[in-house]
Formats: sequence, structure tokens, C-alpha cells
Amino acid sequence: MTIDSDTIRHLSEVSVSVELETEDMTLNIGPQHPSTHGVLRLVARVDGERAFDVQPVIGYMHRGYEKLAEVRTYAQITTIVNRIDWVSGYANEIPFIVACEKIMELEVPPRAQYIRLILTEMARIASHLVFMASYPLELGAASPLFFALRERERVLDLMESVTGGRFHPNFNRVGGVKPAYGSGSQTRKIVQDLPAGFYRDARAAMDRVLEVCDELENLVGGNEIIHARTKGIGVIPAEVGASFGLSGPNLRASGVDLDLRKVEDYLPYGDFEFDVVTGTNGDCYDRWWVRLNEIRESTRIVKQAIDGIPSGPIQAKVPKVIKVPKGETYVRAENPKGEMGYYLVSDGNNGPYRVKIRSASFSNISILPWVLEGVLLPDIIAIMGSLDFVLGDVDR
Amino acid sequence: MTSNQSDVTEQTGTATVHPLQEFADGVAAAVGGVAEIHFGTVKVRVPAEWWVETHRIAKEELGFVFFSFLSAIEWANDVAVGFPLSEPVEERIEVISTVGDLAEGRRVTFSTDIDRENPTIASIVGVYAGANWHEREAHEMFGITFEGHPNLINLYLPTGFVGHPLRKSFPLLSREVKPWPGDVDVEGMPGDSGAADEPSTENPEA
Amino acid sequence: MIADLLSNFWVALVAKLLLVALAIPLIGMVVGFGEMKLSAKMQARVGPYFAGGRWGWAQLLADGIKFFQKEDLIPRDADKPVFKFAPVVVMMGTVALFVVIPWGPGLIFRDLSVGIFYALAISSLTTVGVLMAGWSSANKYSLIGGLRAAGQMIAYELPLVFSALAVVIMAGTMSMQGIVEAQIEAGYPFVILQIVGFVIFVIASLAELSRIPFDLPIAESELVMGYLTEYSGFRFLFFFLAEFANMFSMSAIAVTLFLGGWYLPGIPADALEYLGPVILVVKSLILVFAMIWFRWAFPRVRQDQLQSLAWKWLIPISLANVILTGVFKVVL
Repeated sequence: MTIDSDTIRHLSEVSVSVELETEDMTLNIGPQHPSTHGVLRLVARVDGERAFDVQPVIGYMHRGYEKLAEVRTYAQITTIVNRIDWVSGYANEIPFIVACEKIMELEVPPRAQYIRLILTEMARIASHLVFMASYPLELGAASPLFFALRERERVLDLMESVTGGRFHPNFNRVGGVKPAYGSGSQTRKIVQDLPAGFYRDARAAMDRVLEVCDELENLVGGNEIIHARTKGIGVIPAEVGASFGLSGPNLRASGVDLDLRKVEDYLPYGDFEFDVVTGTNGDCYDRWWVRLNEIRESTRIVKQAIDGIPSGPIQAKVPKVIKVPKGETYVRAENPKGEMGYYLVSDGNNGPYRVKIRSASFSNISILPWVLEGVLLPDIIAIMGSLDFVLGDVDR
Repeated sequence: MTSNQSDVTEQTGTATVHPLQEFADGVAAAVGGVAEIHFGTVKVRVPAEWWVETHRIAKEELGFVFFSFLSAIEWANDVAVGFPLSEPVEERIEVISTVGDLAEGRRVTFSTDIDRENPTIASIVGVYAGANWHEREAHEMFGITFEGHPNLINLYLPTGFVGHPLRKSFPLLSREVKPWPGDVDVEGMPGDSGAADEPSTENPEA
Repeated sequence: MIADLLSNFWVALVAKLLLVALAIPLIGMVVGFGEMKLSAKMQARVGPYFAGGRWGWAQLLADGIKFFQKEDLIPRDADKPVFKFAPVVVMMGTVALFVVIPWGPGLIFRDLSVGIFYALAISSLTTVGVLMAGWSSANKYSLIGGLRAAGQMIAYELPLVFSALAVVIMAGTMSMQGIVEAQIEAGYPFVILQIVGFVIFVIASLAELSRIPFDLPIAESELVMGYLTEYSGFRFLFFFLAEFANMFSMSAIAVTLFLGGWYLPGIPADALEYLGPVILVVKSLILVFAMIWFRWAFPRVRQDQLQSLAWKWLIPISLANVILTGVFKVVL
């Protein structure tokens, strides 16, 4: 041997470094891209299939709702807040209305609260079913989309039968809910809060939703490739997620046993028995699994609420022009996407002085630069999809 | 140390303590602020120079590891759009942030007042990583400078946008050009005769 | 009888040209329509319904006409000659593959003595076209898609060849007709002894065809449309038809290698002359159905998983299969 081992190593290192010195490419994902759920844009530096320095660029859908809320009356604001997260529009109205009611110190009739609760849980089911539909699609499996959306349509039909709207119900009023039938002078004559056959249809729909949950668990959860694509991918430890403001199913997938339905008093969730679903690993698979089981828990809540719904008025006595007294409060709710809250500052006018909208998706995707550092290109899509955001909820 | 504004228990006239009082006092004592309870929201006012230290204590000693949001309220006597304040206030920008814990679901809102003309405050990104985007949003919407922020550029607005949209002096131009069509639907403005206190919906089943 | 007629060179030439010009789009359309209808069935949908009056049978015809009417967009920065030529290369690979598919006794365009060798070599031409498309589109997504296709071809060509090699060892010939005759002679289709090879061949051909779960070059949720992103109009149609025709031709080769080709026991030899093509088509369509089934049931694997499946599992297993087959052949 004439060449010593040091020289060999040196030569090989030189040749390797010369061979592999490639130029990085800047890849612009979005704002028009099939998997960014709208108009999110990611700018990534990619080295082959691996991505670095992923920077989300948002604001393509900024509608300035916080400013708009300052020039509207309380009754008009519910029409814009249910456009924040349009996948679960109904759930967005609740924290805002509850904030007004808290400052007004209004006692909402129990029946109205139950109706709100049933519809909120239905919105959660619908929202999670959209995730169940879109997430496998992002991993390349097209069929679960149709199974999930078919059942979502049943739930949306039910919501439409009560509220008149599939996505933007605008159904809550300060002090209660809108009478479903009749308006103006007719309201006084015939008031029908829930349409005929609603309980029966809702029970049937919940059963179907449970069935499709089993189907999806077999079809998606039982698939080896899904496991390979999602287990151990995009792991978010609970403390990191919490400091980024990650909330809802995303944080529970990391093992945090916190559900605002259990700790906040915005709706009478204390009357019902349901479990807080938590994951263990905080990876993409757990986020999928938590949402799947949250659908099941929501069907439990809806069934219990239907069984236990009290009769009575659906609207408290409120003045014709809603004026919220001077005061401020923050009301947060467990929305399908996570913690949704409104910091309402009122000065006794018929419109708020300032509304800070805390939307879940905004904080949820602010973790993207952290979690996407050095992952493979297909994993960007897998991780991004697993966070289940809606651009309207990000940009507000 | 504690002022209890506008609270349910106070209005009942009894001497019962609000259930959140003990918690609020504990947080206020730990960070050296003043606690208020607003309809179930514990708000602790701290001086601006303690802003970062307050959050560090809250996270590391009080266990508020969950970062909810950071934003600001501009208290201004002259408003370009929207409803003016009923009585004059000291003009300032109030920076608010809400943090929570993960075990019991408690939350606390910290608040501090900063100068309205030249709003500057230290950044808490070092404590809560999630404050990054919230501070960028507050920066472009209110013009607040967050000292020590790693990347204080516009989040929503295009680069070079002039003005701070959530300032009360920022007009809604389209509203100035054309009166809002929704105005015709409004059932009487505040101060109009006979509008208030008439029940709108009667109990349907009574 | 047919063989007699086809022995006239000019008759045979015209017949072959006509067959190619009609058969490939026809096969592509049948398979494409099957995919539409089957995916609809699997997803609780109706699928094409109105075109053609019944069952939407003319859907793909209408699609084809639509594609021809579309504007032929070429990106400004594209490498224009390469961009224009890429669909032709893909189509060439598809057409050339049909040359060696045996449709019946004596019914083959050209029974090359190195038939299977030719088939495997020429099927890679499609990948060259894909790489050309990805490179010339001046689009980063297209480029990544093209490179993925190249990486995929290199990885899966080997298990494909090895599993075919085991069949060649068993048959003792590389001629496609020879392989079918060897199976007739042996009295059983080679899949019985070559079940491992058959499974590997199907997996590898799925990867060669870029079908789910190996559709990484297209990967519409990641790469928009991969190497097809910038294609439109009839150039896109070329890729589209080639994909479906390739599905069929790869299945036909698999059928020839492993499932006895045009032969079915119990059918008299003189009837095979007419029934041979039918048997081959039916057998191939069964495999095509499986491919469509996979497409709508599975998600997509990741690039590194795809590569490790090929290099860590399929290649060693297929190599072992070749060795075992060789030993078996020598011992018996």
C-alpha cells in the first residue's frame, strides 16, 4: 500500500464535497397551489427533496375584520365573524355573542344554549369531516374524500334546516338564537325553533357519522402507507406547541389534556359526558386520530343534548337596539380548529370600540417555520395538512 | 392592590369574593401588577418596562406556558370611523397579551400602557415564540415598535403600505366616498327616541 | 387463415398501421373510461353520465375533442423543441411496446428473438420523454417531477428486469411467442412457480407507469401536476393517452410473461387464432383493473420510501428469485 489511509479519506472527502456541492433552489409553494387550502404561500429553499428556511407568507385574504367590526353594530358583526373560519362558520359566532352577553350580564335561556351547543358540535363534525376528506387527498388517497364529504353533507343539511345557511348561518342573536321560522310580525304568531323531525334526523345523521368514522378508520387508519407517511412526521412537543399558541386538536395530539369545553363556561358543556381525546406522539398521525375521535365525541354530545334539551324560550328579553355597556372581556371557545376568542372592548355604544379576534389557525400555522425545518418536500404537505387550517381563519 | 371593576358578585351587594379573586391576586403579586376582573377575564396591569419580565415569570414560575394572543387597543378621543368614546380618556396605546396554562385551563391577560405618539415596547418573542406573528401584526396595524423582534416586517399588508389601519385615526376610505348601504337598515341610532328598551322578541311559548 | 392473408407484406403493413393508429387511442380510451367509471363506483359517485346518451360512453371522445380545441400553450422560457418533442417520445415508447405483444398464435407485429429484452428497454423511452418534459418546461415543479421520474425508473428498472429474467430462464427464450409456447408446453402458467417474480413485476411496473402509490412524478398535492404542469391541449392528451395505453401494454407483457398470454387451456388450437386476442385483452384488463383499484385505494409513498422499497427489498428479493430459478432449472 503506497497511499495511507489519511490520504484516502482526504481524497474521498474532497471528491464528495466537490460532487455534492449543488446550488439550492428557491421553491415558491402557493399562493395558488392545490395543497395550501387557499392562498397561503410558502417560500422554501430546497436542496433536492429537502426543504430549509420555509417562510409562510400570509395576508392574501386579509379582510380587516377587526377594523370592520369597529364600524358595525353588534347585530351586524355576527354576519362577518362567521366568515372567519368558513368551514365551521357557526362556531365562530358563539364566542362573540357570549362576550356581548357577558358584558350585558344577560341570562340566556337554556333551550337557546342547547340549540347553540348542538349546532356548534355539528359545525365541529362538519369541519373535522372536511379534514378527514382533505388530509388523505394530500397524501394521495382520493377516495376517503367522498365518504367523508357525503356524511358532512347530511350534517350541513341539518344545520341548513335550522339556520337557513350551510356555511354562514348568522343564527345567533344577543340573548338567544334566531327563530327559525317567520320574521317580523309573523315571529309573534308562529315560532318554531327547530324544524319538524330535527331530532330524528339528527340522531340518524349522528349514527351515519359514526359509521363513516369506522369506515375511515379502516380505510385510512388501517393503511400501511398512511402510517409510513404520517407516523413520526412533524412531531410537535407540547411545550413548543404551547409557546407558539398551538391549540385545539393540534395541541391535544401532543398529549395536552386541555379542552376549553371543559374549562370555560360559554356553553353548558358541563351537562354532558364526553372525553377529551389526546394523542401521545404529537405527529401527523396523532393529529388525524385525535380529530377522528373528536367526531365520535361530538356525536355523543349531540345525542345527549337532543335527549336532554329543555323546552322554553329561545330568546332572552333584550332591548330592540343592542347596546353593550362599558366593559371589556375575553371569551374563548373550543372551536374545531382550536382556541377561538374575542377580546371585546365596549363603551356603551351599539357597536364595539375594539374587537381583537384571536383565531386558531393564525397561531397554528405560525409554527410552520419551526416544524418544517429540514423536512422532505412531500412532508411539507403532510405536516401542513395535518395542522388543519383555513386561510380565512389565518388572515381574518 | 386590587380593583374589582364591574363584577357580578359586586352587584349582588353581598360581600362574597369573586371566585377568581384569589387567583388574580396571586398572579398580580407574582408579577407585581394590579389585578382587575372583567366578567371572568383576569387582567393584570403591569408597567411597560416590566413587560418581558412579567411574561418570563408567567411562563417559568406561574406555569402559563400557552401563548394565546398579543394585540393592542388604541385609546383615542378623536376617531375617524366608528363609535367615539363616551367620555374623554387619557390617550394611549394599551398592549394586551393573554397567556394560559395547560393543566387547569386558567388564563390571564396582561396589559400595559405605552405612549401613543411613539409606541415602543420590548418584544416577548424570546419568551413565547408564538408572539412573533402577533407582534408583527400589532406592528403594522398600530405602528408599535417591538424592540428585539427578530423580523419586524409587515405580516398582512404589502411592503410600503402607509398608515396603521387599526389606529382610530385611520379612515375607511370607501366609507368616506360612499355612505354605507347598511345604514338604511339600522333601526334607530343611539339617542333616537323610543328605540331603546322595547322588547324585540317575546317569549314564543309563554 | 388470417396468418395466410397477413403473409402478404403489403397487406400486413397496411393492417398493422391501421391497427396501431386505431388501437392505441382506442385502448387508451377504454382504459381511461374504465378508470373513470370504476373510480366513480369506488367513491359512491356516478361518474360520466351524459356524454353519448348512455353511461357517458363518449366522455373520453368528448374530452379528446376538447383537448384538440384548446390553445397550445408553451411557456416563454421553455426549451421549445424539447418541450414539443417530449409527448412524441412518450407516445413513441408506447407504440413501440405494442410491437412485441403476442396477440395470438402468429399474431404479433414482430416476434423478435430478444422480444422481452426489447420490451423492457423500449418501455424506458417513456421515462426519457417524461424527463424531457420536466426539464424543458422551465418550471420548478416540472423539474422536480421529471427528476423523480428518472430516479424512479433507475430504481424500478432493475426489479422489473430481474423478475422478467427469471421467466426467461424458465422459458429458455427471450422471444415473446416463445415464452407463451413454453408455458403451453409446461402445462402451467409461470405465475405458479414465479409468484414472487409476478408480484415484483406488477409492483415495479406500477412504479414505471407512475401510478399510485408510486405517482411521485405527478403528485398533484405536492408538485401541482409534476412534469405535466405546463402542458395543455393535445400535447397533454398525448401524455394522457400514453399513460392509459401503457397501463394496458405493461399488463399485456405481465400476462404474457406470467399468465400464459393468449393461451387458455381447453380452447382448441384453431379457435385460439381468433380467440387469442380476446383472451389476452381480458387477462390484461384484469390486471388493469387491479391497477385502477390500487390507484383509488392507496395514498402515495414518499420518495425515500419508494427508493428504499426498491433497493432494500425488491432488488434483493428478485435477485434471489433469479438465483433460485436458475438452480431449479439446472437441478430439474
